[in-house]
Amino acid sequence: MSTTAAGPEAPGIVCAFAVSRTPPDPALLAAARGHEEGGPLRAVRAGGLYLVVQDVPAALFGEEALTERLNRPGDLERCARAHHRGVEAAAGRGPVVPLPMATLYRGDLTAVRAVTARQPVLETLLARLCDRTEWAVKVHAAEAPPESATDPGARTAPGGGGRAYLSRVSARRRDRRGAHEKALAEAEAVDAELRRYAVAATRHRPQSERLTGRRAPQLLNIAYLVDDARRADFTEALARIAADGGRRAVRVDASGPWIPYSFARWDEDPQAGPEQEVRP
Amino acid sequence: MTDLEHRYPARETEPYGPPSGSLADLLERVLDKGIVIAGDIKIDLLDIELLTIRLRLFIASVDTAKKAGIDWWETDPALSSRAARDALAEENARLRERLDALESAAEETTGAVR
Repeated sequence: MSTTAAGPEAPGIVCAFAVSRTPPDPALLAAARGHEEGGPLRAVRAGGLYLVVQDVPAALFGEEALTERLNRPGDLERCARAHHRGVEAAAGRGPVVPLPMATLYRGDLTAVRAVTARQPVLETLLARLCDRTEWAVKVHAAEAPPESATDPGARTAPGGGGRAYLSRVSARRRDRRGAHEKALAEAEAVDAELRRYAVAATRHRPQSERLTGRRAPQLLNIAYLVDDARRADFTEALARIAADGGRRAVRVDASGPWIPYSFARWDEDPQAGPEQEVRP
Repeated sequence: MTDLEHRYPARETEPYGPPSGSLADLLERVLDKGIVIAGDIKIDLLDIELLTIRLRLFIASVDTAKKAGIDWWETDPALSSRAARDALAEENARLRERLDALESAAEETTGAVR
């Protein structure tokens, strides 16, 4: 393991990725790339824990420079992927607590101090995340077919004129409201089913249609924390839900397994029961 | 910023982690999840959704442009605003199409009444 500390007067910036209890695998650290512009990944001892860091150039990772870069889509994506690679490399030999992207220090000393000051909480979290992965599930309303082409009412409406038009409009509005309520109920049923196989679940803010690129609204955006021992049960439940012809009002998409980013948080009590969740 | 295939390795299999095409999921996680330990340098990631929307628009327009053999993003410093304009134009075209469909449906209805 490379534990070379940057000298106190080194002008660079230290970028932190994740905290682990077990020493990270040196081969994995050496093979991982981290940020393209930075040095090799290093593991630094912080009390009884390890912090995976990388030296990065101040010219690119200083406050102004990085803010500007993160507002450029190409750089934002590269940074996000680099951060994830660093977290993955740290996770080779055991659980990790990932830090958010762009957690930056002036040197190893302050980075280590930040970790050791929070060691008890970090240790509790590491214990909680051990042998568990995160699964991201998004439930969207099913996309409605284009109205003009399929609405038989438009063609067979017996009466013309304003009244017929208005009644058509209000009928369509009723249909739409009914469809939305049905979709919401189905989405909640999907969540209830998946929770049976999860240790914890947390609801994220549903993504806007501009972000998802879909016309149908996102109803639920949930992360599940799943025990490795129950992973097969969870993925089978996902497959069952996807195959369920009875659920026509929603579309369910899932991705995983993820390093449990969504469950590495201060703001929930790691001792609390499995049903805890954070509502938006 | 030259090798697009390399920059969007959506089809690459990753050893641990997201299956292909879940960049939005990745951003959602690395931007504001994970334990927050105050760093020495403060980066304001407040408007995370705005950042990711820009990214989405950018990717959508890269796909469109790639099909048309256009590579303006290599030279255009204002690529994100251009991406936003492209998306607006796209939406505009979609809305026009929809309006046409609605209008012709309405004409049909009026025709049936006469």
